[in-house]
Amino acid sequence: MRPRRATYRKATDVGVKALSLLASLVGIFFLGWILFEVARRGLGAIDWQFFTQNPAPPGVEGGGLSSAIVGTLLITALATLIGVPLGVMAGVYLAEFGKQNRLGSSVRFAVNTMMGVPSILVGLFIYAIFVLPFGHFSGYAGAMSLAVIMIPVVARTTEDMLGLVPDALRESALALGAPRWRVTVSVVFRSAKSGMLTGILLAVARVSGETAPLLFTALNSPYWPSSLAEPTSNLTVTIFNYAMSPYADWQQAAWGASLLIMASVLGLTVFARVALKEKKG
Amino acid sequence: MTDTAASSAPGGVRPPKSEPRPMVDGRRRRLGDPIFRLVAAACACAVLVMMIGLILELVVNAYPAIREFGLGFLVSDAWNPVRSDFGALSSMYGTVVSTVIAMALAVPVSVVIALFLVELAHPTLAKVVGGAIQLLAAVPSIIFGMWGLFVFAPFMADNVQPVLGDYLGFLPLFQGPPMGIGMLTAGIILALMILPFVTAVMRDVFEMVPAVVKEAAHGMGSTTWEVTRKVTVRYGAVGLVGAVFLGLGRAVGETMAVTFVIGNSHRVSASLFSAGNSIASTLANEFTEASEPLYLSALVYLGLVLMVMTLVIQVGAQVWLRRIKKTLGGSS
Amino acid sequence: MNGAVAKEFRRVDVSAALASRPATDESRGRQVEKEKHPKISVSGLSFFYSDNQALFENNIEIAGGKVTAVIGPSGCGKSTHIRVYNRIFELYRDQRAEGQVLLDGQNILSPSVDIIELRRRVGMIFQKPTPFPMSVFDNLAYGIRLHYKPSRSELQGRVEEALKSAALWDEVKDKLDKPGTALSGGQQQRLCIARAIAVEPEVLLMDEPTSAIDPVATARIEELVLELKGTYTIVIVTHNLQQAARISDSTAFFYKGYIVEHGDTRALFTKPKNKQTEDYLTGRFG
Repeated sequence: MRPRRATYRKATDVGVKALSLLASLVGIFFLGWILFEVARRGLGAIDWQFFTQNPAPPGVEGGGLSSAIVGTLLITALATLIGVPLGVMAGVYLAEFGKQNRLGSSVRFAVNTMMGVPSILVGLFIYAIFVLPFGHFSGYAGAMSLAVIMIPVVARTTEDMLGLVPDALRESALALGAPRWRVTVSVVFRSAKSGMLTGILLAVARVSGETAPLLFTALNSPYWPSSLAEPTSNLTVTIFNYAMSPYADWQQAAWGASLLIMASVLGLTVFARVALKEKKG
Repeated sequence: MTDTAASSAPGGVRPPKSEPRPMVDGRRRRLGDPIFRLVAAACACAVLVMMIGLILELVVNAYPAIREFGLGFLVSDAWNPVRSDFGALSSMYGTVVSTVIAMALAVPVSVVIALFLVELAHPTLAKVVGGAIQLLAAVPSIIFGMWGLFVFAPFMADNVQPVLGDYLGFLPLFQGPPMGIGMLTAGIILALMILPFVTAVMRDVFEMVPAVVKEAAHGMGSTTWEVTRKVTVRYGAVGLVGAVFLGLGRAVGETMAVTFVIGNSHRVSASLFSAGNSIASTLANEFTEASEPLYLSALVYLGLVLMVMTLVIQVGAQVWLRRIKKTLGGSS
Repeated sequence: MNGAVAKEFRRVDVSAALASRPATDESRGRQVEKEKHPKISVSGLSFFYSDNQALFENNIEIAGGKVTAVIGPSGCGKSTHIRVYNRIFELYRDQRAEGQVLLDGQNILSPSVDIIELRRRVGMIFQKPTPFPMSVFDNLAYGIRLHYKPSRSELQGRVEEALKSAALWDEVKDKLDKPGTALSGGQQQRLCIARAIAVEPEVLLMDEPTSAIDPVATARIEELVLELKGTYTIVIVTHNLQQAARISDSTAFFYKGYIVEHGDTRALFTKPKNKQTEDYLTGRFG
């Protein structure tokens, strides 16, 4: 038997390693490119007025996106207020009561499916049940659609994180004579705290950058969001509208808004991941 | 045992006994737990109701269009709001083509990146690279859209499409004027967007390969690549299907980034350079402008088609995942 | 280790353990209530995991103020048996108990029993220490607040007393606000004992409380068990025969879900009545 040449095999090995490194670099290159361009073009658009003034018509000097910033904050906050408690409790059901029963597995299926439903269809759904009956777009509808996107994500993380809490901890709290709800709230939640918090933050970060579900629900508005019962100004739909407009100053403002959204979303994401890592270590 | 131990015995330090309470008391019902369970179950049911409600609303609101066009909607390339004649073909075609481009680009690259992260890279490097790839997943869709429309599309028009046209122009796929926006650009951006998700799944799969198996292969004098190819790839093949499902699910419904760069034209064209549309981009562009009830209903019908595509993918993914867990579950 | 040697080793060691037992409670001047009725009286107890029966018609009487050891090979139903006493098994949907378990004459398996009050009276210590993710102080305060409405000073007083009873006070009095998980394994387990004591139970169930702990810490816990008996009725599951011989007053031998033999520890270890018990004690199986 003739020995196989090792040089050829080693060369293949090096070649594959180089290829895999190259693929990774491609991914990082695009990330860098996007971050760089958004930062470069966005920074020029951001000044004091950007945060303090309402939008101006095209061609008019000045103007900012204060109304859209506030609108996005309000809609996201309301969505979080609705979505987090509902999602957490759904996750509690799945982890604590619905491990094997039929309702549990149906809900688990629904959670997984809803996580994969395109966000624009969620917008369509909320349009049908929240906009059509009332006859007008509203910030409330926008918040609802974001909440519908959040709930399955939060439910899934909650289920996963509560699943990591050992049964022995539940048993020892129960053995002290604690009722089930107190065991969950004060011992199990506390034990899963950092993981749940990370999941919730990631979900908030994700929906705060969403555009599609707001298109048919919150719509957009150039005015200060005095009430969420009307079409409500928000950053992401503003980016879409401005970017599609032919006006250079609006496109410029869209870059500013893009930078703001990207920085907030990525900032929140990185914060959530790093905070978890520290807790774990 | 010494005397001190006995004197510190619990008898001495024990608090006075609190008044005894009856263990059986019909009147003192504890309601906390049933209420807690009920609330949790209600929230869980809310998710179920959401899913059913979503499908139901789509069907109900699409019904006028379904009655008008029937299943012929799916094969008609008409899209004429003035004459109220609608068909889903161009949107479905665009959704499928952009998704296929995205999958064709993202899956191989993701697999190689995942291999790099798990098998080849130094752990520290893998952490940094993996983190960066995951960060790509956090970039909002609209940012991809902005970058795609104003940065990447011009780049494609100036540098990529002319070259492709020159060398591969004999194929109908790469014919036509290099406009930058269009199917190809949309597909590439979609590929970037699903890349981190597919990579994450593949990474998990590769990490499931038991270290003992890898060590055994190394012990026989294999190079890293040979171990990877023979051992890891076999395990990976199972996970690949799951990763493809996940990528498909993401790509099919992606809206904003595609809307920005696909060109928004209701035309079915063989060339990847030409403008097109997808179901999601049509909805994003036209829904708020649609005034006619039938126009609106046709758009919801499109949404229903997208929902069916999503459901097929989701159910497929979940069934497959359950199978993986059964086959590989014992080893992990 | 060779089987014959193992056998020999076990025999010798147990007799040494028996010899090392402290003097009886009476001779140590401890007042032990002579109870006419057993603290816990089990009759016809069967237990099922889904369709698998794990316990068969168990009958046993647990004397008040004594330490009862539960021994047997793994998987014989020791833990399952004592997990009925506080109905902790009810956490799992597919587990079910049949029969009668009387605590001071009252059937705890009856649905009318308030499970929370039952668990206050019957505390439990687990195999691995389970400090809650909170401070040492809050670990104790948690249980106390579940059942009482103490004032601040009452709460502090009771936390201190419970920690003293569990022989932990001197070690942790300066770290009451440190997380419970920061203590050593042995300290964590004594923290769990203190936490159980703090709600004034009558019975303490211990499910292999020293199996995850080093020998020195184990010795301290055994010492603690001896101090606590009299005040509390203690039922301890152990896979360690020496431990059973050292600390228990009576011992029950479980095998395949049946209680094969139950009696005075010394008698059971030196003159087992049952062939299976003898085989187990001499290391023929288990």
